[in-house]
Amino acid sequence: MLRYIATRFAVWIPSVLLVMLGVYALAYFGAGDPIKLIFLRAPGDVAYNPERIEAIRESAGLNRPFLVQFGSYIWNLLHGNFGNSLTSGRSVWAMISAAAPVSFKLALCSILLTAVVAIPLGLIAALKQNTRTDYAILGSALFLWAIPAYVAGPMLMVLLIMVIPGSNVPYGWGGIFDVRILLPLFVLSFQPIALIVRQTRAAVIEVLSEDFVRTARAKGVPEMIVALRHILRPVLTPVVTQLGLIMITIVNGAIFVELVFGLPGLGRLTVQALTNTDYPVILAITLIGSFLVMISNLLVDVLYPLLDPRANDTRRSR
Amino acid sequence: MTVVPMATTDIKEEPPVSLWRDAWFRLRRNRLAVFGLGVVVLLAFTALFGPYLTPFDFLSQNLDARNMPPSLTHLFGTDDLGRDVFSRVIFGTRTAFLVAIVVTAIAVVIGVTLGALAGFFGGWLDRVVMWLTDMTMSIPNLLLVVVINASLKSPISSWMESRYLATLNPFYRETIWVDFLLVFGSMALISWPPYARLVRAQVLSIRSRPYITAAQALGLTNRIILMRYVVPNALGPLIVAVSAGLGTAMVLESAFSFLGVGVNPPTPSWGNMISDGLRVWQHYPHLLAAPAAVLGLASVAFSFLGDGLNDALNPRGAK
Repeated sequence: MLRYIATRFAVWIPSVLLVMLGVYALAYFGAGDPIKLIFLRAPGDVAYNPERIEAIRESAGLNRPFLVQFGSYIWNLLHGNFGNSLTSGRSVWAMISAAAPVSFKLALCSILLTAVVAIPLGLIAALKQNTRTDYAILGSALFLWAIPAYVAGPMLMVLLIMVIPGSNVPYGWGGIFDVRILLPLFVLSFQPIALIVRQTRAAVIEVLSEDFVRTARAKGVPEMIVALRHILRPVLTPVVTQLGLIMITIVNGAIFVELVFGLPGLGRLTVQALTNTDYPVILAITLIGSFLVMISNLLVDVLYPLLDPRANDTRRSR
Repeated sequence: MTVVPMATTDIKEEPPVSLWRDAWFRLRRNRLAVFGLGVVVLLAFTALFGPYLTPFDFLSQNLDARNMPPSLTHLFGTDDLGRDVFSRVIFGTRTAFLVAIVVTAIAVVIGVTLGALAGFFGGWLDRVVMWLTDMTMSIPNLLLVVVINASLKSPISSWMESRYLATLNPFYRETIWVDFLLVFGSMALISWPPYARLVRAQVLSIRSRPYITAAQALGLTNRIILMRYVVPNALGPLIVAVSAGLGTAMVLESAFSFLGVGVNPPTPSWGNMISDGLRVWQHYPHLLAAPAAVLGLASVAFSFLGDGLNDALNPRGAK
């Protein structure tokens, strides 16, 4: 087991480095001269003074080869140094550590909500396959999957104000126990819930035809116990493997949800950085987002043999 | 089913039901899928002929009638420049379909080629392709687009500008091509991995099926095996993926416009209209509601259709 985890980890690290290299290269070759980018915003005419530019380039180490610069960027990352923002001059690490808790709390709540809501719904839909209940659940899941967060968010806000007259617009951040969190949390969870409902339903339908379910029913085990003990346990495995995909939908959704509901998280930071073409911030957030997804995938890889002892390390379900 | 004595029946030779006919029958029984198909056909018709049917020009401004609520003259009201929102939504259908079709086509070509090569040849090629798809899929796709756009937009625009100054060819002045190139290109670059993965899995599983071995044992040529057995069996899931992908691409385009990296105004696109509407939705909710509802409808329709096609083309429920 330890050996399996070690192998997975050993394969994982180069993948992370390569994703970082790809993202870094895009920013490096696309962004243009960083010194000009910085000093174009500054007063004075440094940007048009070639000698001073060369001097700064020398002192900042920007005349070194690409790979050396990439290496030192990674080295700085490991020491918690993400560079400075082009617009505000603040350290990117400070900006991110101020914003990240908001996003992380939201994401965790969203994953919890998804698990609590979606798995039972998927189970019910599959047990009542091809009935009205099933169609209703499946139809709503497809509907939720298709509605973008930036459409659902404002629409629900309008609805809320119309239904409860005098209620305030849920705008801003007051921690996860604040009532304003509810609407953004639901909107953020729509897509993950839809994903897991469909996944659970498909997995349950597959398990229903297994011999052990038939045996359990034949010997008179109550339907409730069959559903919880015999069906749900093998179903959880394929559902857990969706964690990486859920992470992607949450990271994507957070961009819109945070903007619409005015939450000071990483998503809003992304949009601000994009409007200001603030490369260090964009780069750092992209790396963090990819890292989250990849660490979820690694977690799935490590958990998989624990959940399904039949799986050896060549089999990796997606 | 009733048991019929074999000896006394004349077995009527019915014409064989083809795969597609069979799938069509199954699709028609699925009410959600029929609804989806209806909406998709209606939208496609609108995209083709809509601009000739609109009551107003999508660009004509009427500054005396700004931000009007929906009425009989202006079904969806007017926007901040007095333009008819209904006409703009209709014209936006064309943009949406253009983006969806072009992006999906590019993504399918890349994905199918890579996936088929990987599945067919295996070995190191397979490993490289799969690793590439894994990499692309582990970067959250909106962030990847943000990076691509932030990095490529300014070099391409400045290159176009220098070409224009050097040649004075008006072609280089049309920044709209840069926009489309960037939007289409970056969307296709993040959309191909699912297709590659799907086709590879299909090719791998079909190659080892007994009916392929049987066909080979019968001495059929590779071409016939490919055309009659491999292609139809791999096509079903691909059609499902494409149908769902078209809807996803439409949503993606609007997400880009929302972030300010999509198709540029004044070309009407649903995403543009939504992001404009978001700024004023407290005062003029119809400016947000109209394009958002149409986008939602289109996306839901494609997703219902894709799901119905999935059940119709893969009857064994292999999801």
